[in-house]
Amino acid sequence: MVSKEGSTGSGSRVKIDLKEEDIVAAMQEIPGYLDITPRDFKEIYTLAFQHALERLKREVTVAEIMTREVAAVKPDTPLADVAGAMGRRGVSGVPVVDDGNRVVGVVSEKDFLRRMGVVDSQNFMTLVASCLRSKGCVALPIKKQTAGELMSSPAVTVRPETRVRDLAELFAARHINRAPVTDAEGRLVGIVSRGDLVKATLAECRV
Amino acid sequence: MKWTYLSKMTGLTQSPPRVSGTEVFWSWLGSFLGIAVVAWLNDGFLEKTDLVLIIGSFGASAVLIYGAIKSPLAQPRHLIGGHIISAIIGVTAWKLLFFQPWLAAALAVSVAIAVMHLTKTLHPPGGATALIAVIGGPKIHHLGYLYVLMPVAAGAFIMLVVALAVNNLAPSRRYPEYWI
Repeated sequence: MVSKEGSTGSGSRVKIDLKEEDIVAAMQEIPGYLDITPRDFKEIYTLAFQHALERLKREVTVAEIMTREVAAVKPDTPLADVAGAMGRRGVSGVPVVDDGNRVVGVVSEKDFLRRMGVVDSQNFMTLVASCLRSKGCVALPIKKQTAGELMSSPAVTVRPETRVRDLAELFAARHINRAPVTDAEGRLVGIVSRGDLVKATLAECRV
Repeated sequence: MKWTYLSKMTGLTQSPPRVSGTEVFWSWLGSFLGIAVVAWLNDGFLEKTDLVLIIGSFGASAVLIYGAIKSPLAQPRHLIGGHIISAIIGVTAWKLLFFQPWLAAALAVSVAIAVMHLTKTLHPPGGATALIAVIGGPKIHHLGYLYVLMPVAAGAFIMLVVALAVNNLAPSRRYPEYWI
């Protein structure tokens, strides 16, 4: 039903495959004389659809797309447990919370890589390279450490009412892939990732 | 450039579908009753006086308020507002420019359309109401601004009452779409 005209940029117009015969058929279903031509109706419909899309883009909030069941760790959680939890859940980062469930930081794959001697570009292949050059495990320097020592702090957090448009800008500006979602007191209520953002965008296109 | 201009005259869409027989019936009934009431009152009570209750533009109003009732042009705001505004402008045009009837006629209609647009009361029969104030002959001219109240406002009001009564009797109809 909906396709993008052109392939780039946010300025591309949505083209709706609505045929005049559809409109005439619909007009016949409505009793009474409608004081409009099929073409005028189509023009109004197309423009109205644009406005609806823009309104949805403006108004969808983090609360609607975030993941509520979030694995969090404590500052004193050993890094082996942190890495294990991340591996099990297949996530690349977890929030660190204190005893009051307030977010104090985030541990991500990048934090691990940085502390494991990977300085240049923090990705897995750089780690493999340095691993192949060294004797023993590159994880040894952080074997005894805890989440509190490794985490990036303070964490970049968002609120449930943050608009999705602002969230995308935040991800791009801070080069992050996820952000814990907190209430007014800073307590963890969920997490929102780039993946959630992509899914939300897809759902919107299917409206 | 010239070809673009001419090609704009070719049209680019199809005509809207024809309405059902039921719709035709209700349009017929409403307009019959609306015009009947106004014409009957005019003939029965005003024939021997200088007053009138019916003017030609009511026939055009009937098309809209009984035949195209969903149209913005057919809503009460437009019916009443358009007729009254156009009547005032028509009478004024005649009073100011009676020595140049062609100019009075052209200004009456064109200014009426402009003011109906500005006041969101566009009602096509209003153009006729303004024109009749100029070309309607001595009987209309003699009314002066009374023309605005009678026949124009009174007749339009009666037609509106009939439209409310008859259109809402039809199961498939609802009138008006809005008042203000």
